[in-house]
Amino acid sequence: MIPSDLAVTHVGIIGAGKGGTAMLEALVNLPHVKLVGIADCNPRALGLQVANFHHIPTTLRPLDLIQNPHVQLLINVTGDPSMASTISHIKAPGTEALGGAGAKVLWDFIQHGTMIQAQLFQAEKLAGFGTFASGIAHDINNPLYVILAMAENIQEETDLSLIHEHAVSIHEAAQRIHAISRNITQYARSASTQETLTVDLHAKLDEALTIARFATKFHEITIQKHYNGSLEIAAKPEEIVQIFVNLMTNAIHAMEGKGSLILATDKANGQVHVSISDSGCGIPPENLQKIFDPFFTTKINGMGTGLGLYNVRTILRKYHGDLRIESEVGKGTTFYLSFPASPSSEMVAHDHNRTPST
Amino acid sequence: MSEGTGAMFGGHTSNGRVLVVDDESDVRKVVRMTLEKSGYDVIEAEDGEKAIQEINKGENPLLLDCIISDIRMPKINGVEAINYFKQQYPHVPLIVLTGFPDTEMATGFMKQGIVDYLVKPVEKQKLTAAVSKAMEQREINRL
Repeated sequence: MIPSDLAVTHVGIIGAGKGGTAMLEALVNLPHVKLVGIADCNPRALGLQVANFHHIPTTLRPLDLIQNPHVQLLINVTGDPSMASTISHIKAPGTEALGGAGAKVLWDFIQHGTMIQAQLFQAEKLAGFGTFASGIAHDINNPLYVILAMAENIQEETDLSLIHEHAVSIHEAAQRIHAISRNITQYARSASTQETLTVDLHAKLDEALTIARFATKFHEITIQKHYNGSLEIAAKPEEIVQIFVNLMTNAIHAMEGKGSLILATDKANGQVHVSISDSGCGIPPENLQKIFDPFFTTKINGMGTGLGLYNVRTILRKYHGDLRIESEVGKGTTFYLSFPASPSSEMVAHDHNRTPST
Repeated sequence: MSEGTGAMFGGHTSNGRVLVVDDESDVRKVVRMTLEKSGYDVIEAEDGEKAIQEINKGENPLLLDCIISDIRMPKINGVEAINYFKQQYPHVPLIVLTGFPDTEMATGFMKQGIVDYLVKPVEKQKLTAAVSKAMEQREINRL
Protein backbone atom coordinates (compact mmCIF):
# COMPACT_ATOMS: atom_id res chain seq x y z
CA MET A 1 0.00 0.00 0.00
CA ILE A 2 1.35 3.43 -0.99
CA PRO A 3 0.72 6.20 1.54
CA SER A 4 -1.80 8.68 0.16
CA ASP A 5 0.15 11.75 1.22
CA LEU A 6 3.16 11.70 -1.08
CA ALA A 7 4.66 14.86 0.41
CA VAL A 8 5.26 12.98 3.66
CA THR A 9 8.03 10.40 3.86
CA HIS A 10 7.26 7.46 6.12
CA VAL A 11 10.40 6.42 7.96
CA GLY A 12 11.33 3.46 10.13
CA ILE A 13 14.44 3.39 12.30
CA ILE A 14 16.21 0.10 12.93
CA GLY A 15 18.35 0.34 16.05
CA ALA A 16 17.49 2.42 19.11
CA GLY A 17 20.94 2.94 20.59
CA LYS A 18 22.80 6.23 20.51
CA GLY A 19 22.52 6.59 16.73
CA GLY A 20 18.85 5.60 16.59
CA THR A 21 17.98 7.99 19.41
CA ALA A 22 19.74 10.92 17.73
CA MET A 23 18.07 10.05 14.43
CA LEU A 24 14.67 9.87 16.09
CA GLU A 25 15.11 13.19 17.89
CA ALA A 26 16.24 14.85 14.67
CA LEU A 27 13.42 13.47 12.53
CA VAL A 28 10.55 13.73 14.99
CA ASN A 29 10.27 17.49 14.49
CA LEU A 30 10.42 17.51 10.70
CA PRO A 31 7.03 18.39 9.21
CA HIS A 32 7.39 16.15 6.15
CA VAL A 33 8.62 13.07 7.95
CA LYS A 34 6.32 10.59 9.63
CA LEU A 35 8.05 8.13 11.92
CA VAL A 36 6.29 4.82 11.47
CA GLY A 37 8.30 3.18 14.21
CA ILE A 38 11.63 2.36 15.80
CA ALA A 39 12.89 -1.15 16.48
CA ASP A 40 15.49 -2.66 18.76
CA CYS A 41 15.87 -6.17 20.25
CA ASN A 42 17.03 -4.63 23.51
CA PRO A 43 13.95 -3.55 25.52
CA ARG A 44 16.14 -1.17 27.55
CA ALA A 45 17.42 0.70 24.49
CA LEU A 46 17.26 4.47 25.11
CA GLY A 47 15.62 5.22 21.75
CA LEU A 48 12.59 3.07 22.63
CA GLN A 49 11.96 5.14 25.76
CA VAL A 50 12.34 8.38 23.86
CA ALA A 51 9.95 7.07 21.18
CA ASN A 52 7.35 6.18 23.84
CA PHE A 53 7.55 9.71 25.07
CA HIS A 54 6.88 11.06 21.57
CA HIS A 55 4.07 8.51 21.01
CA ILE A 56 5.99 6.82 18.22
CA PRO A 57 5.37 3.05 17.89
CA THR A 58 8.19 0.83 19.12
CA THR A 59 8.91 -2.84 18.58
CA LEU A 60 11.38 -5.36 19.93
CA ARG A 61 11.17 -7.25 16.61
CA PRO A 62 13.09 -5.35 13.91
CA LEU A 63 11.77 -7.77 11.26
CA ASP A 64 8.22 -6.45 11.77
CA LEU A 65 9.30 -2.90 10.99
CA ILE A 66 11.52 -3.97 8.08
CA GLN A 67 8.59 -5.78 6.46
CA ASN A 68 6.04 -3.04 7.19
CA PRO A 69 4.71 -1.98 3.74
CA HIS A 70 3.95 1.56 4.98
CA VAL A 71 7.63 2.30 5.45
CA GLN A 72 9.17 4.21 2.53
CA LEU A 73 12.61 4.64 4.03
CA LEU A 74 14.36 2.36 6.50
CA ILE A 75 17.31 3.83 8.32
CA ASN A 76 19.64 1.18 9.65
CA VAL A 77 21.71 2.41 12.58
CA THR A 78 22.26 -0.93 14.29
CA GLY A 79 25.96 -1.18 13.55
CA ASP A 80 25.29 -4.89 12.96
CA PRO A 81 27.20 -5.91 9.79
CA SER A 82 24.63 -8.58 8.85
CA MET A 83 21.63 -6.24 9.14
CA ALA A 84 22.10 -4.61 5.69
CA SER A 85 21.71 -7.90 3.84
CA THR A 86 18.77 -8.98 6.06
CA ILE A 87 17.00 -5.72 5.20
CA SER A 88 17.65 -5.99 1.47
CA HIS A 89 16.27 -9.55 1.47
CA ILE A 90 13.05 -9.09 3.41
CA LYS A 91 11.99 -5.43 3.02
CA ALA A 92 8.84 -4.60 1.08
CA PRO A 93 9.53 -3.87 -2.61
CA GLY A 94 8.72 -0.14 -2.37
CA THR A 95 10.94 0.46 0.66
CA GLU A 96 14.31 2.14 0.32
CA ALA A 97 17.05 1.34 2.79
CA LEU A 98 19.71 3.69 4.10
CA GLY A 99 22.58 2.16 6.01
CA GLY A 100 26.34 2.02 6.25
CA ALA A 101 28.08 5.14 4.97
CA GLY A 102 24.80 6.84 3.97
CA ALA A 103 23.31 6.51 7.45
CA LYS A 104 26.62 7.58 8.98
CA VAL A 105 26.76 10.78 6.92
CA LEU A 106 23.16 11.55 7.86
CA TRP A 107 23.99 10.93 11.50
CA ASP A 108 27.10 13.15 11.30
CA PHE A 109 24.99 15.86 9.74
CA ILE A 110 22.43 15.64 12.53
CA GLN A 111 25.12 15.64 15.22
CA HIS A 112 26.69 18.69 13.66
CA GLY A 113 23.36 20.55 13.58
CA THR A 114 22.68 19.63 17.21
CA MET A 115 26.12 20.82 18.23
CA ILE A 116 25.72 24.16 16.43
CA GLN A 117 22.35 24.68 18.07
CA ALA A 118 23.73 23.86 21.52
CA GLN A 119 26.58 26.32 20.92
CA LEU A 120 24.08 29.00 19.99
CA PHE A 121 22.05 28.38 23.17
CA GLN A 122 25.22 28.55 25.24
CA ALA A 123 26.53 31.68 23.47
CA GLU A 124 23.26 33.49 24.05
CA LYS A 125 23.16 32.37 27.68
CA LEU A 126 26.68 33.62 28.37
CA ALA A 127 26.12 36.87 26.44
CA GLY A 128 23.03 37.49 28.57
CA PHE A 129 25.10 36.90 31.70
CA GLY A 130 26.63 40.37 31.37
CA THR A 131 23.32 41.93 32.35
CA PHE A 132 23.39 39.99 35.63
CA ALA A 133 26.88 41.13 36.63
CA SER A 134 25.89 44.07 38.83
CA GLY A 135 23.10 42.07 40.46
CA ILE A 136 25.51 39.24 41.26
CA ALA A 137 28.11 41.70 42.57
CA HIS A 138 25.46 43.29 44.79
CA ASP A 139 24.36 39.97 46.26
CA ILE A 140 27.95 38.96 46.95
CA ASN A 141 29.08 42.34 48.28
CA ASN A 142 26.49 42.45 51.04
CA PRO A 143 27.51 39.22 52.80
CA LEU A 144 31.15 39.91 51.95
CA TYR A 145 30.94 43.17 53.85
CA VAL A 146 29.50 41.33 56.86
CA ILE A 147 32.29 38.72 56.71
CA LEU A 148 35.12 41.24 56.38
CA ALA A 149 33.85 43.61 59.06
CA MET A 150 32.94 40.88 61.57
CA ALA A 151 36.24 39.05 61.06
CA GLU A 152 38.15 42.29 61.58
CA ASN A 153 36.16 42.95 64.72
CA ILE A 154 36.82 39.48 66.13
CA GLN A 155 40.55 40.19 66.03
CA GLU A 156 40.13 42.95 68.63
CA GLU A 157 37.17 41.50 70.52
CA THR A 158 37.67 39.86 73.91
CA ASP A 159 34.04 39.11 74.79
CA LEU A 160 33.61 35.43 73.97
CA SER A 161 29.86 35.61 73.50
CA LEU A 162 30.25 38.46 70.99
CA ILE A 163 32.95 36.53 69.16
CA HIS A 164 30.59 33.59 68.96
CA GLU A 165 27.79 35.82 67.65
CA HIS A 166 30.08 37.25 64.98
CA ALA A 167 31.18 33.77 63.95
CA VAL A 168 27.53 32.78 63.41
CA SER A 169 27.00 35.85 61.21
CA ILE A 170 30.18 35.14 59.24
CA HIS A 171 29.11 31.57 58.68
CA GLU A 172 25.66 32.60 57.45
CA ALA A 173 27.12 35.22 55.12
CA ALA A 174 29.60 32.74 53.67
CA GLN A 175 26.77 30.26 53.08
CA ARG A 176 24.92 32.89 51.08
CA ILE A 177 27.94 33.53 48.88
CA HIS A 178 28.32 29.79 48.42
CA ALA A 179 24.70 29.49 47.27
CA ILE A 180 25.18 32.31 44.74
CA SER A 181 28.34 30.71 43.40
CA ARG A 182 26.56 27.36 43.08
CA ASN A 183 23.54 28.88 41.33
CA ILE A 184 25.50 30.79 38.75
CA THR A 185 27.93 28.00 37.90
CA GLN A 186 25.03 25.58 37.54
CA TYR A 187 23.26 28.01 35.23
CA ALA A 188 26.36 28.82 33.18
CA ARG A 189 27.29 25.26 32.33
CA SER A 190 26.51 23.94 28.89
CA ALA A 191 23.61 21.59 28.23
CA SER A 192 25.27 20.00 25.19
CA THR A 193 26.44 16.90 26.99
CA GLN A 194 23.42 16.36 29.21
CA GLU A 195 20.84 13.74 28.38
CA THR A 196 17.08 14.10 28.44
CA LEU A 197 15.72 13.75 31.97
CA THR A 198 12.47 14.07 33.83
CA VAL A 199 12.37 17.71 34.81
CA ASP A 200 10.28 19.14 37.61
CA LEU A 201 9.00 22.44 36.18
CA HIS A 202 8.33 24.05 39.55
CA ALA A 203 11.90 23.41 40.68
CA LYS A 204 13.18 24.84 37.39
CA LEU A 205 10.96 27.94 37.66
CA ASP A 206 12.38 28.58 41.13
CA GLU A 207 15.92 27.96 39.91
CA ALA A 208 15.39 30.39 37.02
CA LEU A 209 13.98 32.98 39.40
CA THR A 210 17.17 33.02 41.50
CA ILE A 211 19.08 33.89 38.31
CA ALA A 212 16.56 36.33 36.81
CA ARG A 213 16.47 38.30 40.07
CA PHE A 214 20.02 39.40 39.30
CA ALA A 215 18.57 41.39 36.39
CA THR A 216 17.15 44.07 38.66
CA LYS A 217 18.72 46.57 41.03
CA PHE A 218 15.61 46.82 43.12
CA HIS A 219 13.58 44.64 45.40
CA GLU A 220 10.24 46.04 44.42
CA ILE A 221 9.09 43.32 42.12
CA THR A 222 6.52 41.25 43.92
CA ILE A 223 6.51 37.64 42.89
CA GLN A 224 3.36 35.57 42.98
CA LYS A 225 3.52 31.85 42.44
CA HIS A 226 0.43 29.87 41.59
CA TYR A 227 1.84 26.36 41.23
CA ASN A 228 -0.65 23.54 40.79
CA GLY A 229 0.14 19.87 41.29
CA SER A 230 3.41 18.33 40.25
CA LEU A 231 4.50 19.04 36.68
CA GLU A 232 7.08 16.93 34.94
CA ILE A 233 8.33 16.96 31.38
CA ALA A 234 11.13 15.11 29.60
CA ALA A 235 13.85 17.57 28.61
CA LYS A 236 17.38 18.77 29.18
CA PRO A 237 17.03 20.65 32.48
CA GLU A 238 19.51 23.39 31.48
CA GLU A 239 17.45 24.25 28.42
CA ILE A 240 14.23 24.53 30.41
CA VAL A 241 15.92 26.82 32.94
CA GLN A 242 17.24 28.91 30.03
CA ILE A 243 13.70 29.36 28.63
CA PHE A 244 12.42 30.50 32.00
CA VAL A 245 15.39 32.78 32.70
CA ASN A 246 14.98 34.46 29.30
CA LEU A 247 11.27 35.07 29.78
CA MET A 248 11.62 36.22 33.40
CA THR A 249 14.53 38.54 32.57
CA ASN A 250 12.48 40.12 29.79
CA ALA A 251 9.57 40.49 32.21
CA ILE A 252 11.77 42.11 34.86
CA HIS A 253 13.35 44.49 32.33
CA ALA A 254 9.89 45.39 31.02
CA MET A 255 8.85 46.42 34.53
CA GLU A 256 11.92 48.61 35.01
CA GLY A 257 12.38 47.48 38.58
CA LYS A 258 8.81 47.82 39.79
CA GLY A 259 5.73 45.68 39.34
CA SER A 260 4.52 42.15 39.77
CA LEU A 261 5.73 38.94 38.21
CA ILE A 262 3.22 36.11 38.25
CA LEU A 263 4.27 32.50 37.66
CA ALA A 264 1.38 30.10 37.20
CA THR A 265 1.27 26.42 36.29
CA ASP A 266 -1.39 23.87 35.54
CA LYS A 267 -1.90 20.46 33.97
CA ALA A 268 -4.70 19.43 31.62
CA ASN A 269 -5.21 16.81 28.87
CA GLY A 270 -1.66 15.47 28.99
CA GLN A 271 -0.24 18.96 28.63
CA VAL A 272 1.49 21.02 31.26
CA HIS A 273 0.97 24.77 31.16
CA VAL A 274 3.23 27.50 32.47
CA SER A 275 2.47 31.19 32.29
CA ILE A 276 4.83 34.05 33.05
CA SER A 277 3.13 37.44 33.42
CA ASP A 278 4.50 40.88 34.07
CA SER A 279 2.94 44.27 34.70
CA GLY A 280 5.49 45.97 32.49
CA CYS A 281 5.49 48.19 29.43
CA GLY A 282 3.95 45.62 27.06
CA ILE A 283 4.89 44.81 23.47
CA PRO A 284 3.52 47.06 20.71
CA PRO A 285 1.43 45.07 18.18
CA GLU A 286 3.86 45.89 15.35
CA ASN A 287 6.66 44.16 17.30
CA LEU A 288 4.71 41.04 18.26
CA GLN A 289 5.46 39.47 14.89
CA LYS A 290 9.17 40.24 15.15
CA ILE A 291 10.08 39.26 18.71
CA PHE A 292 11.04 35.71 17.75
CA ASP A 293 13.21 36.79 14.83
CA PRO A 294 16.91 36.24 15.47
CA PHE A 295 18.73 39.47 16.41
CA PHE A 296 15.52 41.44 16.93
CA THR A 297 15.87 43.47 20.12
CA THR A 298 14.43 46.66 21.57
CA LYS A 299 16.90 46.69 24.46
CA ILE A 300 19.57 49.40 24.48
CA ASN A 301 23.39 49.28 24.44
CA GLY A 302 24.20 45.65 24.57
CA MET A 303 21.52 44.71 27.11
CA GLY A 304 19.98 42.21 24.70
CA THR A 305 21.42 39.76 22.19
CA GLY A 306 18.23 39.51 20.15
CA LEU A 307 18.53 35.74 20.51
CA GLY A 308 16.68 35.19 23.78
CA LEU A 309 13.17 34.65 22.44
CA TYR A 310 14.47 33.02 19.28
CA ASN A 311 16.10 30.39 21.49
CA VAL A 312 13.01 30.12 23.68
CA ARG A 313 11.02 29.19 20.61
CA THR A 314 13.66 26.81 19.28
CA ILE A 315 13.90 24.96 22.60
CA LEU A 316 10.10 24.81 22.93
CA ARG A 317 9.75 23.34 19.45
CA LYS A 318 12.38 20.77 20.28
CA TYR A 319 10.18 19.54 23.13
CA HIS A 320 6.93 19.84 21.13
CA GLY A 321 5.94 22.75 23.26
CA ASP A 322 3.69 25.59 22.27
CA LEU A 323 3.80 29.30 22.95
CA ARG A 324 1.18 32.05 22.99
CA ILE A 325 1.54 35.71 23.95
CA GLU A 326 -0.91 38.25 25.24
CA SER A 327 0.38 41.76 25.55
CA GLU A 328 -1.01 45.22 26.04
CA VAL A 329 1.11 48.34 25.88
CA GLY A 330 1.27 49.97 29.30
CA LYS A 331 -0.41 46.99 31.02
CA GLY A 332 1.93 44.05 30.66
CA THR A 333 2.69 40.81 28.90
CA THR A 334 1.91 37.15 29.51
CA PHE A 335 3.72 34.25 27.88
CA TYR A 336 1.74 31.02 27.92
CA LEU A 337 3.85 27.90 27.42
CA SER A 338 2.68 24.34 27.11
CA PHE A 339 4.59 21.07 26.94
CA PRO A 340 3.54 17.46 26.62
CA ALA A 341 3.57 16.01 30.14
CA SER A 342 6.16 13.34 30.83
CA PRO A 343 4.28 10.03 30.40
CA SER A 344 5.88 8.27 33.32
CA SER A 345 8.53 9.29 35.74
CA GLU A 346 10.24 5.88 35.39
CA MET A 347 10.94 6.46 31.71
CA VAL A 348 14.00 8.57 32.21
CA ALA A 349 16.42 9.24 35.01
CA HIS A 350 15.33 11.87 37.48
CA ASP A 351 17.02 15.22 37.40
CA HIS A 352 17.68 15.26 41.14
CA ASN A 353 19.70 12.04 40.83
CA ARG A 354 22.38 14.00 39.09
CA THR A 355 22.39 17.24 41.04
CA PRO A 356 26.06 18.15 41.29
CA SER A 357 27.71 17.50 44.61
CA THR A 358 28.55 20.63 46.50
CA MET B 1 30.57 73.75 69.27
CA SER B 2 26.98 74.16 68.14
CA GLU B 3 23.97 72.12 69.20
CA GLY B 4 23.63 68.54 68.03
CA THR B 5 27.23 67.46 68.00
CA GLY B 6 28.57 66.81 71.44
CA ALA B 7 25.04 66.36 72.77
CA MET B 8 24.40 63.77 75.45
CA PHE B 9 22.81 60.48 74.47
CA GLY B 10 22.38 57.62 76.89
CA GLY B 11 24.78 59.16 79.35
CA HIS B 12 27.82 59.48 77.06
CA THR B 13 29.15 62.12 74.81
CA SER B 14 28.24 61.56 71.19
CA ASN B 15 30.04 62.72 68.10
CA GLY B 16 26.70 62.72 66.32
CA ARG B 17 23.61 60.70 65.58
CA VAL B 18 23.46 58.52 62.48
CA LEU B 19 20.45 56.74 60.97
CA VAL B 20 21.45 53.52 59.20
CA VAL B 21 18.94 52.23 56.64
CA ASP B 22 19.52 48.72 55.28
CA ASP B 23 17.27 45.69 54.95
CA GLU B 24 19.95 43.34 56.24
CA SER B 25 20.26 43.32 60.00
CA ASP B 26 23.85 42.06 59.90
CA VAL B 27 24.85 44.96 57.64
CA ARG B 28 23.23 47.42 60.06
CA LYS B 29 25.06 45.69 62.91
CA VAL B 30 28.42 45.97 61.17
CA VAL B 31 27.90 49.68 60.42
CA ARG B 32 26.79 50.21 64.01
CA MET B 33 29.91 48.45 65.32
CA THR B 34 32.20 50.64 63.26
CA LEU B 35 30.42 53.92 64.02
CA GLU B 36 29.92 53.30 67.75
CA LYS B 37 33.65 52.70 68.09
CA SER B 38 34.15 56.15 66.59
CA GLY B 39 31.78 57.64 69.12
CA TYR B 40 28.61 58.02 67.09
CA ASP B 41 25.10 57.13 68.16
CA VAL B 42 23.37 54.85 65.73
CA ILE B 43 19.69 54.30 65.06
CA GLU B 44 18.51 51.68 62.60
CA ALA B 45 15.72 51.25 60.06
CA GLU B 46 15.17 48.25 57.80
CA ASP B 47 13.65 50.06 54.84
CA GLY B 48 12.76 53.49 53.48
CA GLU B 49 9.32 53.45 55.05
CA LYS B 50 10.68 52.63 58.51
CA ALA B 51 13.38 55.27 58.01
CA ILE B 52 10.79 57.93 57.28
CA GLN B 53 8.79 56.80 60.35
CA GLU B 54 11.93 56.87 62.45
CA ILE B 55 12.90 60.37 61.39
CA ASN B 56 9.36 61.71 61.88
CA LYS B 57 8.85 59.96 65.20
CA GLY B 58 7.94 63.14 66.98
CA GLU B 59 11.50 63.75 67.99
CA ASN B 60 13.16 66.74 66.49
CA PRO B 61 14.54 65.56 63.15
CA LEU B 62 17.23 68.17 63.57
CA LEU B 63 18.78 65.82 66.13
CA LEU B 64 19.78 63.55 63.26
CA ASP B 65 23.21 64.39 61.94
CA CYS B 66 23.59 61.96 59.03
CA ILE B 67 21.71 59.25 57.13
CA ILE B 68 23.48 56.21 55.64
CA SER B 69 21.17 54.36 53.29
CA ASP B 70 21.21 51.34 51.02
CA ILE B 71 19.29 51.77 47.77
CA ARG B 72 17.90 48.27 47.22
CA MET B 73 15.27 47.63 49.83
CA PRO B 74 11.67 46.46 49.93
CA LYS B 75 8.73 48.91 50.15
CA ILE B 76 10.17 52.38 49.72
CA ASN B 77 13.58 51.88 48.15
CA GLY B 78 16.67 53.89 48.97
CA VAL B 79 16.45 56.09 45.89
CA GLU B 80 12.95 57.20 46.84
CA ALA B 81 13.90 57.52 50.49
CA ILE B 82 16.92 59.63 49.58
CA ASN B 83 14.78 61.91 47.42
CA TYR B 84 12.34 62.24 50.29
CA PHE B 85 15.07 63.10 52.81
CA LYS B 86 16.64 65.56 50.36
CA GLN B 87 13.32 67.40 50.08
CA GLN B 88 12.16 67.20 53.68
CA TYR B 89 15.49 67.54 55.47
CA PRO B 90 17.86 69.23 53.04
CA HIS B 91 20.23 70.02 55.89
CA VAL B 92 20.83 66.36 56.86
CA PRO B 93 23.80 64.94 54.90
CA LEU B 94 23.27 61.63 53.10
CA ILE B 95 25.63 58.75 52.39
CA VAL B 96 24.74 55.88 50.06
CA LEU B 97 26.09 52.47 51.10
CA THR B 98 25.32 49.85 48.48
CA GLY B 99 26.43 46.56 46.99
CA PHE B 100 26.22 48.00 43.47
CA PRO B 101 29.53 49.10 42.00
CA ASP B 102 27.70 51.36 39.55
CA THR B 103 29.51 54.50 38.43
CA GLU B 104 26.48 55.87 36.60
CA MET B 105 24.35 55.63 39.69
CA ALA B 106 27.16 57.03 41.86
CA THR B 107 27.55 60.05 39.58
CA GLY B 108 23.80 60.66 39.64
CA PHE B 109 23.68 60.62 43.42
CA MET B 110 26.78 62.79 43.78
CA LYS B 111 25.14 65.37 41.50
CA GLN B 112 22.14 65.31 43.83
CA GLY B 113 24.52 66.39 46.55
CA ILE B 114 25.11 63.30 48.65
CA VAL B 115 28.29 63.23 50.73
CA ASP B 116 29.59 59.93 49.37
CA TYR B 117 28.62 56.80 47.42
CA LEU B 118 30.21 53.86 49.21
CA VAL B 119 30.31 50.34 47.81
CA LYS B 120 30.18 47.34 50.15
CA PRO B 121 32.43 45.88 51.38
CA VAL B 122 33.57 49.29 52.60
CA GLU B 123 36.71 49.72 54.71
CA LYS B 124 36.23 51.03 58.24
CA GLN B 125 38.41 54.07 57.58
CA LYS B 126 36.47 54.96 54.45
CA LEU B 127 33.15 54.71 56.25
CA THR B 128 34.26 56.79 59.23
CA ALA B 129 35.90 59.34 56.92
CA ALA B 130 32.63 59.72 55.00
CA VAL B 131 30.68 60.12 58.24
CA SER B 132 33.05 62.73 59.62
CA LYS B 133 32.82 64.58 56.30
CA ALA B 134 29.03 64.42 56.71
CA MET B 135 29.38 65.88 60.21
CA GLU B 136 31.42 68.79 58.85
CA GLN B 137 28.77 69.42 56.25
CA ARG B 138 26.12 69.21 58.94
CA GLU B 139 27.96 71.97 60.81
CA ILE B 140 28.06 74.15 57.71
CA ASN B 141 24.36 73.48 56.98
CA ARG B 142 23.53 74.55 60.53
CA LEU B 143 25.13 77.96 60.11
